[in-house]
Amino acid sequence: MRAAMTILWDSFRLLQAKKLFWIALGISMLVALFYASIGFNEQGMTLFFGWKEFENPLLRQGQPEAAAFYVLLFTDVILKFWLAWIAVALALLSTASIFPDFIAEGSIGISLSKPVGRLRLFLLKYFGGLLFVALQVTVFTVIVFLALGWRTGEWNLTVFWAVPVVTFVFSLLYAVAVWIGVWTKSTLFALLGAFLMWGVALLGQWTESFLYQAAHLVPESGIEFDYRTGEQVEKDSVEKNSAAVSFHKTAKAVVTPLPKTRDCTTYLKRLIKMKERDSLLAGVTFDMLLSGSLPDPRMAGAMKRNDERHSFWYVFGTSAIFEAVVLSLAAWVFCRRDY
Amino acid sequence: MDGPAVEIEYLKKRYGSFEALAGVSLSVPRGSVFGLLGPNGAGKSTMIKSLLTIIRPTECRGRMLGRPIGDRATLGKVGYLPEHARFAEYLTGREVIAYSAGMTGVPVRETRGRVDRLLETVGMKAWGEKKLGTYSKGMRQRIGLAQALVNEPEIVFLDEPTDGVDPEGRIDIRKMIEGMKAEGRTVFVNSHLLGEVEQVADQVAILSHGKVIRSGSVAELTGTGKHFEIRTLGPVPPALRERLESAGIQVAGDRIGVPAKDAGEVQSVIDALRAAGIVIRELKESRQSLEELFLSAVQGARQEGGQP
Ligand SMILES: Nc1ncnc2c1ncn2[C@@H]1O[C@H](COP(=O)(O)OP(=O)(O)OP(=O)(O)O)[C@@H](O)[C@H]1O
Ligand SMILES: [Mg+2]
Repeated sequence: MRAAMTILWDSFRLLQAKKLFWIALGISMLVALFYASIGFNEQGMTLFFGWKEFENPLLRQGQPEAAAFYVLLFTDVILKFWLAWIAVALALLSTASIFPDFIAEGSIGISLSKPVGRLRLFLLKYFGGLLFVALQVTVFTVIVFLALGWRTGEWNLTVFWAVPVVTFVFSLLYAVAVWIGVWTKSTLFALLGAFLMWGVALLGQWTESFLYQAAHLVPESGIEFDYRTGEQVEKDSVEKNSAAVSFHKTAKAVVTPLPKTRDCTTYLKRLIKMKERDSLLAGVTFDMLLSGSLPDPRMAGAMKRNDERHSFWYVFGTSAIFEAVVLSLAAWVFCRRDY
Repeated sequence: MDGPAVEIEYLKKRYGSFEALAGVSLSVPRGSVFGLLGPNGAGKSTMIKSLLTIIRPTECRGRMLGRPIGDRATLGKVGYLPEHARFAEYLTGREVIAYSAGMTGVPVRETRGRVDRLLETVGMKAWGEKKLGTYSKGMRQRIGLAQALVNEPEIVFLDEPTDGVDPEGRIDIRKMIEGMKAEGRTVFVNSHLLGEVEQVADQVAILSHGKVIRSGSVAELTGTGKHFEIRTLGPVPPALRERLESAGIQVAGDRIGVPAKDAGEVQSVIDALRAAGIVIRELKESRQSLEELFLSAVQGARQEGGQP
C-alpha cells in the first residue's frame, strides 16, 4: 500500500512537472467556460454570457429544445472534438515518454531493486499515466455539470460518465504507447505506434459507420440512392441492397478486434441521459437544430437506430479485450527484460 | 543473523551468446566493506544487478542476508546506488530520498526525520528543497547515496559511487562509506579506482572477463607480494651478487630485493653483506600495491585465457 501510494504520488509529480499538462488544463477550462457562456433568451441563443445574440425559432429560453440542444452541444461537439480528439492527443503527447524514461539505464534500477514485484510496479505506473486524462476530464466535467444545471435547471449526474469513458479511450491508446515504449525504450516509437493504432482504429470505425449508413440508414430513411447516376429519390419504402448489407457485415467483423476509440465516445451520448433530448430530439442532429428544423419521424427513427446500432459489449467489451491483450504483452516485456 | 551477508555459490549470466559472468562464486562477510574490482566490461555491474533482481541471471545459487538470492522481501533491507544514477529532474532532493523510503516501506511518519538526517550526512541540507535539474553531478551522487541509506539497509550496493566526483567529493564519499561500516552495515563497492578501494575495503575480489581471478582480504592479497628492499652504498660486488641471485634474491646495482614474509628471513642476507664489508644505507619492507596486484592479475588472466 505504501509503495503503491509512492508510485502514484510520483506519477502525479511527473504530470505536475509537464508543461503540456497545464496547457491542456488551461485550454480545457477555456472550452468549459465557453460552454458555460452559452445561454438562451426570448429571441434565441446568446454567446459569451449574453454578449452576442443569435435568433432561432427553436432554441429559446424555456423551450425544452433549448435544454436538449445544450446537452447535445456537449455530447456531439465538445465531447466529440475536444475530449475525444484534442484532449486525448495532448495526453498521449505528454505521457508517451513516461515508460521510456522510467526504464532508462540508471533510473529503473532504483525501482526494481525494491521489494515491489515487477508486475505491480508496471501496473501502478500504467495507472499513474491515466491520471493525466482522468484529472483533466474531471475538472472539465465538473464545470460542464454546473453549467448544465445552471442553464437547464437539470442537475444531471450522468454527464460524469465522461470521466471513465474518456479515460478508457485514452487508456486504449496509452496501452499501445506503453507496449512499444517498453519494447523499444523509445518515446518516438511509442508515440508513432499509438497514433498509428489510433489511425487504423478510426479508419476501421469510419468505414463501418459509412457502410452502415449506405446499407441501413439511407433506405430506412426512405431514400433510394442510384449509385450509377448519383440521383436521390424519396419513397415510402425502400428495399435494402443485400450486397451493401453484407459489405457492412464483413466490415463490422473486421473491425471487431480493434479498439473502438470513436464508438466509445459516441456511446457516451447514450450513457448521458437527458429527459428532453431523449424524447424530443431522438435522432436529431446538431446541424438540424442549428438551422432550426426538425426531421420527419421516419428519418429520426432511422437516425436513432443508427446511433444505437452497437451493443455495450461490442463497443466496450471488445475494446477491453484489446487493451488486456496489449497490456499483457507490455507487462510481459517489462517483467522479462534485463535492465 | 550470522553467516556472510552475501554468499554466491554459482552465478552465471549470459546475454545471448555472450557470457558476462561465467559461473562466479564469492562471499561477502557481514559488516565488511567489500570491493569488487575489474576492468571495464568485466561484469561488475552485471553481478550487482543480478543480486538485486534488475537482471535475471541465467543460473544462480546463493544467499543474501540469509535468504535465497532474488527474494523480494530481502530487498527491503538493501540499499542501492546504480552506476550513472539518473533521478527524475522534476523531483527535489528530498523527494528522491522519500521515493526510496516509500518503495522500501519506511513508515510515513519516520520518513521526514530520516530524510532530514540523511541530507545532513551527505552535506546537502541547504539543497533539499531544490529540484534535481539544478544539481551538479557530485550533488546528485550525494543524493543518490542518501536514498540508498534511507531504509537503514543491512547491506548497501554502490556501483562506482565516485564516478564523476571531484577529489574532495571522493574523500567525502570514502568517509561516508566508513560511516556506513561504523553503523554496522555491509558495503559492497564496485570500482576500478583501485587507490580508493584500497583505502576503504577490507575484502576485495578481482573480476575479469566474468571470472573472479583473485579474492581475499586486502592485507592478504597485497601480502603475497611482500618483500624487503635493501640498498647499499655502491654496487654489490659480482661474486656476492652471483651468490645472492642463485638464492633467488634479485640484485640490481645497489638495490637488493628479498622476498620474505618477515624480517627474520632477511637477517642472513644482511650478515652476508656485512661480512663482505658492504655498507647498508636503507632497509624497508614493501608491499605490492593493489594496483600492481590488479594489473598483474588481469594480465595473467588475459594470457591464460587466450581464447576469445
Ligand atoms: N543488456 C545487455 N545486453 C548485452 N550485453 C550486455 C548487457 N549489459 C551488459 N552487457 C555486457 O556484459 C559485459 C559486462 O558488463 P558490465 O556492465 O557488468 O561491466 P562492468 O564491469 O560493470 O563495466 P564498467 O566498469 O564499464 O561499468 C559487457 O561486456 C557488456 O557489454
Ligand atoms: Mg559497471
